[in-house]
Amino acid sequence: MSPFPFSRRRSAHGPGVAAVTALGLVTLVACGAGDGADSSARKGPVSITFWGWTKGTQEVVDAFNASQNDVRVKFQEIPAGNAGGYAKISNAVKAGNAPDVFNVEYPQLPDFVSRGAVQDISEQVPGDLKSRYLPQAIRMTTLGGATWALPLDIAPQTFYYRTDIFEKAKITSPPKTWDEFRADAQKIKEADPQARIATFFPDDASAFEAMAWQAGGQWFKPEKDAWKVDFLDEGTKKAAGYWQKMIDDDLVHVAPSFSQQWTASLQKGRTAGYLGASWGAGVMGSTLPDQSGKWAAAPMPTFDGSAASGMVGGSTFAVSKDSEKAEAAVRFAQWATTTEASIKARIKAGASSAYPAAPKLVPVAKSAFKSALFGDQDLYGLYSDAAKSIRPGWAWGPVMGATDGSLKDSFAKVQKGGDITTAVREAEKATTKELRKRGIKVTG
Amino acid sequence: MAGSVPQRATALIRPAPVPGRHRSGAPALLLLPFFVLFTAVTLAPIGYAIHLSLYSEKRSGLGFGGVQRVFTGLGNYTSALGDQAFLDGFGNLALYCLFYIPLMIGLSLLLALLLDSALARAKRFFQLALFLPHAVPGIIAALIWMYLYTPNVSPVVGAMESAGLEFSMLGNPVPAVVNIAVWEWTGYNMIIFFAALQAIPRELLEAAVVDGAAPLRVALSIKLPLIRPSLVMACLFTVIGSLQLFTEPMILHGAAPDVVTSWTPNMYAYTAAFERNDYGLAAAASVLLALAAAALSFLVTRLSGGRSGKAKGAEA
Amino acid sequence: MSTATPTRPRRRQAPSHRPPALDVRRPRHWSMSRATVNSVLLLATLYMLLPLLWLLTASAKNTGDLVSGRTLTPDRWHLGENLANLAAVGDGVYFRWYLNSLLYAGGGAALCALICVAAGYAFHVYGFSGKEKLFGLVLLGVLVPTTALALPMYLLASQVGIVNSFWAVFLPSLVNPFGVYLARVFCGGYIPGEVLEAARTDGAGELRTFWSIGLRMVMPGFVTIFLFQFTAIWNNFFLPLVMLSDTQLFPVSLGLYAWNAQTHAFPAYYPLVVTGSLLAVIPLIVAFVALQRFWKAGMTAGAVK
Repeated sequence: MSPFPFSRRRSAHGPGVAAVTALGLVTLVACGAGDGADSSARKGPVSITFWGWTKGTQEVVDAFNASQNDVRVKFQEIPAGNAGGYAKISNAVKAGNAPDVFNVEYPQLPDFVSRGAVQDISEQVPGDLKSRYLPQAIRMTTLGGATWALPLDIAPQTFYYRTDIFEKAKITSPPKTWDEFRADAQKIKEADPQARIATFFPDDASAFEAMAWQAGGQWFKPEKDAWKVDFLDEGTKKAAGYWQKMIDDDLVHVAPSFSQQWTASLQKGRTAGYLGASWGAGVMGSTLPDQSGKWAAAPMPTFDGSAASGMVGGSTFAVSKDSEKAEAAVRFAQWATTTEASIKARIKAGASSAYPAAPKLVPVAKSAFKSALFGDQDLYGLYSDAAKSIRPGWAWGPVMGATDGSLKDSFAKVQKGGDITTAVREAEKATTKELRKRGIKVTG
Repeated sequence: MAGSVPQRATALIRPAPVPGRHRSGAPALLLLPFFVLFTAVTLAPIGYAIHLSLYSEKRSGLGFGGVQRVFTGLGNYTSALGDQAFLDGFGNLALYCLFYIPLMIGLSLLLALLLDSALARAKRFFQLALFLPHAVPGIIAALIWMYLYTPNVSPVVGAMESAGLEFSMLGNPVPAVVNIAVWEWTGYNMIIFFAALQAIPRELLEAAVVDGAAPLRVALSIKLPLIRPSLVMACLFTVIGSLQLFTEPMILHGAAPDVVTSWTPNMYAYTAAFERNDYGLAAAASVLLALAAAALSFLVTRLSGGRSGKAKGAEA
Repeated sequence: MSTATPTRPRRRQAPSHRPPALDVRRPRHWSMSRATVNSVLLLATLYMLLPLLWLLTASAKNTGDLVSGRTLTPDRWHLGENLANLAAVGDGVYFRWYLNSLLYAGGGAALCALICVAAGYAFHVYGFSGKEKLFGLVLLGVLVPTTALALPMYLLASQVGIVNSFWAVFLPSLVNPFGVYLARVFCGGYIPGEVLEAARTDGAGELRTFWSIGLRMVMPGFVTIFLFQFTAIWNNFFLPLVMLSDTQLFPVSLGLYAWNAQTHAFPAYYPLVVTGSLLAVIPLIVAFVALQRFWKAGMTAGAVK
């Protein structure tokens, strides 16, 4: 903790409201109070470093720096988490030169917490700040009773599809159930033997995890002092069986997510759909500039036809363990996740379709987001419904690196005699082993 | 041998021991920069890796209550050796070497012999053209080939598809990586072999030709034995290089899920460190890899007669 | 003769000067194999050059054409546009990377070669106790896979506080045990003891002798080590990958890797990666073509990597 004393935090956190001292840690004091202004005049702004990769981040940082003079954020863009970004952060944490604040996705947060890479920010995050975010998002950033990060967006899974290819295959409405999805997959393949309805991503465990989540799976349950680990529950088995059959019957492509192969297939119209998340729309807009107006979004199909969704990714802002500027870092994170100006800056940049974790910002995001790809479809309305249908109860375990690594490695074999159920079983074994190795308690 | 032996080679046998008083200071000064740096970037990290490999980080309960570093002795080594993924990495590496080394060395030797034969035209052009891939950094080579392997993107895959050939390079990591490595290193080794072949005294070859030996026979029974030291050296360095395999599979990993995160021991160590944050395990894996490299290099020099290559250098 | 001997670079012996004796007695079937020999060589050359040719055409394609594999036609020529984008992204950070690479590789290789030659010279010229043991240690260093060292080196560097700095990449690239080995061999081949003795009787200091006589005589060795090390540093990817996080410090290889990772989210980076790769390769190719005489001599001399 910082050696500096700090006064009681007030409830108002808008940048215009609080004056800020800059003593290596920022203290929020009463409105217009002179003492704060004095010290900031003496010391100049607090400078913090921030690493992230989410779209529009540079614009958010610029807007934040322009909006006030107390905290200077130095932003450094790093590769996306699983594309090397997490490695870089872990690296820096280990080396003791981590940035003050960085982006982590929900699944990896417990891992970061468990190895002591991020700091407990419960003190800086009072209850009324928490109440500005969706409760699901707060649940996933609260671990062992403490708050570890501020949520930026939530990412309900969403089905994007090519309306023209669907029409050509004489499909009139997007599938509501997985049975319909399978039937549609067959129609699309019949209409064009090279085309498939969607892609199974062997490199992206989180896509399948979202599917297991949606089907009612619950891999990790934190109990009092131990984790209950059970990957092969009913929901997961259902999802695993379903997708294995889709792969065996050659009704979906199997290709890495966002690979050249996948992108090329989309460009050529050989992939008619994408089981993505809310942020996916923005990405696709820049991937497929030539397919304007040809895409639409629909809620995820489900097994029983009633709305349900899991999440793929979703980012948070966490403060690194050794940062001595936690308060300034939280102040920036708060600004970046709860202010209208921030979400406008992010979405205006063009490629982001993040669905804010702070419900108040949804209308702002909605009016700022433009996508030629989807015509005039109200994506944010769809995301809102999807967000409500995210199944409660799913928790991420503290060794997702090991879990996902094992899943990815066995998913690579799904076309060559491996199968998803076995992959999940292997992942459970690897996870339990890793948990035990780290001294974490496991039951079940 | 007169033609090829350097005129001053005699100096090799006779280092120039120096009389005089000041020599104790000078050698130290000349050796110092290297050994200081060598200690800092080679010896110290090895020591540190061994040290790290003896510890593990432990948590308790749900795992959110902080981390303790505990001495686990050889625990990390037994974990690594007991991990199928790590062993599979060595398996992949072995399979890779099994194809790569004979293929690459064989091809570069063949090309060198062809170039050395009197029949080849435009030798300078061929030498240069065949060598060019070596000027391409490994990461770029891997990127180029990744594109060339990708269906829908690659003209090669396109041509193969229209010819009715279905072979997914992205689905078959070993050939995919071997091909990249062969592309990168064949020209390089070919130049080395070619240089060695050119250094063979012409008189020897002329004599053989006058005796009526066929070119193939000349190549196999005269040229090959004479450039054996070059061959051994090339093999040794290829083995050491192969064990470090990282860049190419790492690039392919993004496009080919079959190239798993622990596809080579090096990737295993990288993943252990940066994805699983198990630095003890990563250090243990690094140490094991270094040991394997040392053992293999030793084996290569031994198998090749021991007196050539490295060992010779020590006596030089 | 072992490889350890620098076989004198046969610069003056161009292939055309090969003994004519081989051509004199040419059996009839050789005309057949002449075609075979040259077509095998041609085939190999195609295999080596076509990927580079692909790179050349690919760098003139825009994102859509690149990713869909459309054949390049003159009306879809976007090279200029790609180059402009390359220069524009991140305020021209690409050229910064370029400069960094030159600095890491150029400066690193020059210093490394000097350090190696100094050590090799000392090993060759002087006798001292424990000399061969020390040299054995150097040889062991050759056998340690450098990538296995990168990780502990990183952790050490972070304790010293030089991680994510120029030095974190520069310092490790100054060390090449194999360079010392080569240097010793070269000194053996190029520096006759008599010359040094003569210099000494002239009363020149030891270091002066090294600097003005030894180093000069072993210059071909210096150039060889320089070239090896230059290529090695230019190609090195693993070390910068673990050491650097500040994009301003990246060498080209790491920068292109980072861009390649970005293609996941921003397909507009595809042509940047390809065009950037081309630009990174061209000067190397030009250098290798222009400096042919030198590296061939070096490789011939070492007849080793």
